[in-house]
Amino acid sequence: MPRQKLSEFRAKNIITSTLGLPYIGWTIDGSADVPEQLKNIPEDVSYAVKVDEAIKGRFKRGLVVLNVPLSGLEKAVHNLVDEGFRWLIIEPMSAHEPGDERYISLTSDRSVVTLNYARSGGIDIEANPGDIQHVMLDGQANWQHLADETDLSIDQLQALLSVFQDNFFVFVEINPYLSTSVGPVFLDAAVEVDDAGAFFVDSWSPSDFRRHFERGLSSQEQAVLELAANTPASFNLSVLEPNGSIFLLLSGGGASVVVADEIYNRGYGLQLANYGEYSGNPNAEETFLYTQAVLQLLLLSSASPKVLFIGGAVANFTDIAQTFAGVIRAIEAVGSQLKGQQVKVFVRRGGPNQAVGLQRMEAVLTKYDLLGAVHDPGTPLTEAVREALKRITK
Amino acid sequence: MTDTTPVDLTSIQPITICLGTHPAIIQSMLDYAYCVGAENPTVVAIISGGRKQERYFWGEKEISIPVYAQLAAVPAAVRNQVMCLLNVQSARRVLAGMTEALSLLPKLQVATVFAEQVPESHSLQLADMAAESAVLLTGPASVGILIPGILKLGAIGGTEYSQLAAAGIFEAGNTAVISTSGGMVNELIHTVITAGLRVSVAIALGGDRYPLTSPAAAFLMAQADPRTEQIVYFGELGGVDEYAIAELISAAKVTKPVIAYVAGTVAELFAEPPQFGHAKAMASTHNETASAKKDALRAVGVNVLDAFGDLATALKAQRSEESVVSDFRAIGPRRKSLAVSHISGDVNGDVQLLGRDLLAIVEDSSLAGLYISLLLGHAVSSLKLIALTDFILRLLTDHGPYVAGAFNTIVAARAGKDVASSLASGILTIGPRFGGAVNAAAGAWLEGIASGESPKVFVAGYRSNGGIISGIGHKKYRIDMPDPRVKALVKQFSGNANGDSYLKFAQGVEAITTTKKGNLILNVDGAIAAIMLDVLVSELDYNLDQLQELVDIEFFNALFILSRSVGFVAHYLDQRRNDEGLLRLSDDEIAYAP
Repeated sequence: MPRQKLSEFRAKNIITSTLGLPYIGWTIDGSADVPEQLKNIPEDVSYAVKVDEAIKGRFKRGLVVLNVPLSGLEKAVHNLVDEGFRWLIIEPMSAHEPGDERYISLTSDRSVVTLNYARSGGIDIEANPGDIQHVMLDGQANWQHLADETDLSIDQLQALLSVFQDNFFVFVEINPYLSTSVGPVFLDAAVEVDDAGAFFVDSWSPSDFRRHFERGLSSQEQAVLELAANTPASFNLSVLEPNGSIFLLLSGGGASVVVADEIYNRGYGLQLANYGEYSGNPNAEETFLYTQAVLQLLLLSSASPKVLFIGGAVANFTDIAQTFAGVIRAIEAVGSQLKGQQVKVFVRRGGPNQAVGLQRMEAVLTKYDLLGAVHDPGTPLTEAVREALKRITK
Repeated sequence: MTDTTPVDLTSIQPITICLGTHPAIIQSMLDYAYCVGAENPTVVAIISGGRKQERYFWGEKEISIPVYAQLAAVPAAVRNQVMCLLNVQSARRVLAGMTEALSLLPKLQVATVFAEQVPESHSLQLADMAAESAVLLTGPASVGILIPGILKLGAIGGTEYSQLAAAGIFEAGNTAVISTSGGMVNELIHTVITAGLRVSVAIALGGDRYPLTSPAAAFLMAQADPRTEQIVYFGELGGVDEYAIAELISAAKVTKPVIAYVAGTVAELFAEPPQFGHAKAMASTHNETASAKKDALRAVGVNVLDAFGDLATALKAQRSEESVVSDFRAIGPRRKSLAVSHISGDVNGDVQLLGRDLLAIVEDSSLAGLYISLLLGHAVSSLKLIALTDFILRLLTDHGPYVAGAFNTIVAARAGKDVASSLASGILTIGPRFGGAVNAAAGAWLEGIASGESPKVFVAGYRSNGGIISGIGHKKYRIDMPDPRVKALVKQFSGNANGDSYLKFAQGVEAITTTKKGNLILNVDGAIAAIMLDVLVSELDYNLDQLQELVDIEFFNALFILSRSVGFVAHYLDQRRNDEGLLRLSDDEIAYAP
């Protein structure tokens, strides 16, 4: 996942320090001792308490609590934590009229960074995309004009561009900000970074990444996240429908989407229980753990009948016998349970050592009466998918 | 960047250098080159830490490929012919590694970056540099480029010989395969072959948001490629690269027919879809969705497939009647040897030394000539070096029974031990204080010359480190009473083409040390070391690295051990002939000091 969202706390710290602006705010971890984290906050003003988990439309969803006095902070924090949020940010309130809110963002593509701004910012900006001006920050940019329009100085705008470029940002949005007599005040900010830059920066680290999962993470997804964090190979797993009937154990970023597409195109999209893939020649222990997670999800699903599709393209360098060894071990471990639920398994895969891998796979599926079909690349990938779908009723 | 002239794929010679090492991929590239009939191994160097060479197969024969710690250390003659580069470094090193490669490889034409997680900003910098150098550079996260009959650069097409042999990728056809996905590029190749067609070029662009070679640039390359008659493209949701392709087609810059599949329509099922597939495969706006991109391609006449399985049908529709027969140089069973010897071995049951029949080399070599050739690992014809070796071997044979090694041999012999044990007992005494001075002196002179310091600075450095200089100092001889052996060596073997720079340096050191103490003269060990270095430079053109290697592997100690072993064996035989009894010291010979 190369694009990651930074916590608002970290994003604001990086931006304001580069622009030479003051910043006051506290990051709160709702899973730790909350009073301890609140004890250094002074009493003189009232505060805004916001969920800091990279969620869009926080205000409309009631995830921003305004005008909280110091005495009310603990309760406000606990209320949000009780709703299932862990990371919060507390900042002093900045009194202003709604009409004072401005919008600014930077986006980039292959050749240039673009500055987007609007004099009318705030929570409704997305409803009025026409209000946003887009200016490419190339050699022709008229900085003076941009400064006049945004009420940021040329120096601040150029500092914003360099903070973007120097910190591996791919997106920054400050919405809204206020233009005040003492300079701009950034009320809300969102930053996405290219996580491949982590090695080269000190300003942020993966611990600043925030993601929000609407339905929360299953323990299996959590396990795969941990697996992926500790191997050079690649793993990901998303639960789409816990009670789906089609489970996928796929290899390769491209082929896995082709398989998912095929299922969707054939009208079985809503029965798709999970999506995910492994690639990069993982070892047998890693594919065991990954398969174990997928099979646990499969056994938990209330659907019937259920199929598991194990597949991928013709691998270039991933060893099929080795990766399948882990898959086979995980199937063996719950073979009779799978049989009890009348699960059928369909396989299609090619690559180095495919003959050995496929043969062993067929043997274990036969042993537990799980065999749907096992195919080598002689059968097209999508044909094998269609064969598996025949067992499922729409 | 799409305006630069595309690389002419059919003119590429597959002479390849690898940044980083990945044995399975490198072996598969060699196998491919062998199968399509390349005369010599196509991978000429590997840049990696640790070892000096890696072993691979060329066909069924085992070969060594030189390994260098730095690209700059590869001889210019080799670098100047390299046209292809495989980068299997870690992501964090890719920018620096490729920047250096683009400047040090003047003939570079094609390169591929295997690593995932190269920062996007690094990719963009690299893409600009590659465009300036007119290099076709694919990746990051690319499995490479296949130009059938010419080049397999990367894992593309498979890494096992049996996979390659069955893949139908040795001969060129008319269908270019361009894919953002590494796994799918091989699937596409497989589908093309199964449909009875052959591939003209296959290129894996990698699944990043900003591939080094954009899909549009790859299309222009395929358009320019004389073998390509049609293009098969695999793209994914995310990014806007497909619109650039559509522009090229509508501007008639790409006119060859295109069949395309854009993966990821499934994402449209979800309000907040999970990350499907690769790094870039997330649509942040509507125009980045698979459907929107498919529509754009369809609008300019591309045959856009809704189901991936339809590709086979679309290809079979145009299959030529005449089927292509795979014809390639096959590779039989092979096994890695346990060890490799570069100096001798059996050929058809007969022993060879240095590539020549044992008896032939024995008949026309002197003893010293044969020894120095084997010690250096190549045939030596310099009469001066052979004469010097002969002199040194004779000079070092025996320096009397008093020295530590000879005495230990005598003690062992008198204890009734056999010849091998007694000899070993003497040899095992050789070390930093006995017999090791020649090697240490060679190291010192080499360090002095390599640093460019004057003898004065050199001596001062040694003094401040509290070290003694090997090759300097003698018990008996002094500046006013020179060692006759040193005199003889200098007389016979100086006057070398390098101006005797090592000997002069050593004498410069002596001139300083003897002002301190009269017996701190250049001794015979120091003189042997200096003169041997001068002769190796002058007669064999050895460079500093080669000389340093001789010091590191103890070549100079080897000369001493070889010669002195004769002396030790002679002492053993002397003791046994005279049947001396067990040597035991009396208590007044070893003081007891509790």
